[in-house]
Amino acid sequence: MAVSSRRLQKELTEIKTAGTPCGITLLKADDFQTWFLSLEVLGESQYKGEVFALMFRFDPQYPISAPAVQFVVDDKYKAPLHPHVYSNGHICASILGGEWSPVLSVIAVCITLQSMLASCKEKKRPPDNDRYVAHAPDNPKKTRFVYHESDSAAAP
Amino acid sequence: MSDPNNPPSEPVPGDLSGEPPKLAKTLKDLPEDDTEPPAWATTDQAAAAAEIAQGGAFEPPPGWTITEPTELSTLGPSTLFNMNEATIEDTIPKDRPLIAPLAPMAVLRAEYENGNTIFVKQIDWLVDKGYKGVRRTRGDGDCFYRSLAFAYVERIMHSDDPELNVMRAISTLETTPAMLSSVGFQELVFEDFFDIFKNLIMRIVQPEPGKSRLTARALFDTFNNPEESNSIVMYLRLLTSAQIRLDPEEYAPFLFHPEIGEPMETVTFCENFVEAVGKEADHVQMTALTRALRVNVNVAYLDGHAHKDGEIDVDFVQFENAPEPEDPITLLYRPGHYDILDNRDQESLTLEPL
Repeated sequence: MAVSSRRLQKELTEIKTAGTPCGITLLKADDFQTWFLSLEVLGESQYKGEVFALMFRFDPQYPISAPAVQFVVDDKYKAPLHPHVYSNGHICASILGGEWSPVLSVIAVCITLQSMLASCKEKKRPPDNDRYVAHAPDNPKKTRFVYHESDSAAAP
Repeated sequence: MSDPNNPPSEPVPGDLSGEPPKLAKTLKDLPEDDTEPPAWATTDQAAAAAEIAQGGAFEPPPGWTITEPTELSTLGPSTLFNMNEATIEDTIPKDRPLIAPLAPMAVLRAEYENGNTIFVKQIDWLVDKGYKGVRRTRGDGDCFYRSLAFAYVERIMHSDDPELNVMRAISTLETTPAMLSSVGFQELVFEDFFDIFKNLIMRIVQPEPGKSRLTARALFDTFNNPEESNSIVMYLRLLTSAQIRLDPEEYAPFLFHPEIGEPMETVTFCENFVEAVGKEADHVQMTALTRALRVNVNVAYLDGHAHKDGEIDVDFVQFENAPEPEDPITLLYRPGHYDILDNRDQESLTLEPL
């Protein structure tokens, strides 16, 4: 079995035996290409009562290469209104780009995004949302986001 | 992407940079591999600022990339589109192998013959000292870890007593998963990487099912297989991180952000500049990893500088950690990049039957 499948199998086993952290639920993981998880911020936050869904896409180089991660935008789910989240669901977070490490797992990424939402002070879109969304590639990994030192999503 | 394997005197087709490698006095001052902004980056920024000041959105010409932190909102949509395209191109495999076959030093020398004469004299000096060959690695930010891993395994394979040296290496390695666990890495994160590295070393003396013992060819092929090669690199990154995290008082005074030079917290430094894929190693990472592996490593520092008195030689930075006297692994450092030095000038990489 390839390293990527072996690793994802272990992550899945851990989710099924140890469970997921509060506010994170596995929705669908039928293969080693695409997984869906739901995410909500518990306690007091800008997103009280809102439930989001995350889509993870893995390539054969996972976990050396980062998964492509985005919020699901469809009839049921919307992308959270956040300065680092575009309305098409793409997320500007350094851990999903240049600071990715195989030390991070699917659950670790969910926890980081959960805390990114929890620490949000003002619900708004990134300043270039409309322009970005008009030209964005299907896969957010193909975007070279520019991160800021103060980026709250930079590290868990 | 700068590739220090291609010096300015002789740009190689397909090399987009061609800018001269920057020189630095000490390893600490050296720029990070492959992320160093090219010389025109500042001009680029100045031009962008001027354009924006005049009320226009700056559109860099084709082939330019944005290398410095820039507000996305100041860039026009076609810039963003071009940036996306450039990133798609990045996913095409580069033609330089992860680890190249051994080449005579003359090949390296030829690259500098029309350029920096001090580099040429330094290369001649190395040849005089018995370093006849160079094995290049891809300039992808993992070159220190990959060079060290390859040279480490190869040296055990070619040693006078491989059985003994495999046993020694394995007994050192077997203590390391506990180190990684103790600093909080999950087993599922590192156990596959560990198995790949350990099994490769075991294969020197013990064939795996369906495979021969490790030969020069098999070692070369393993290190050019991205899955296996990168898994080994990743294990060494995590081992380096664990070594630093376990001895914060020892390393903390040396943990600086490689670009802005500010002191950093141990955990943040390890997460951002040790554990992250493609982040180049500096003196701290080299110290930590050679300690963890208990190896002697000499780094020949090819910097293109003559001494004040005009004499030209090559400085070696030495890391001595072997419990018993042994010859060091020798790496070649050129600003921003590591390769492997060898006392042979070629090797046999014929395909051998399984």
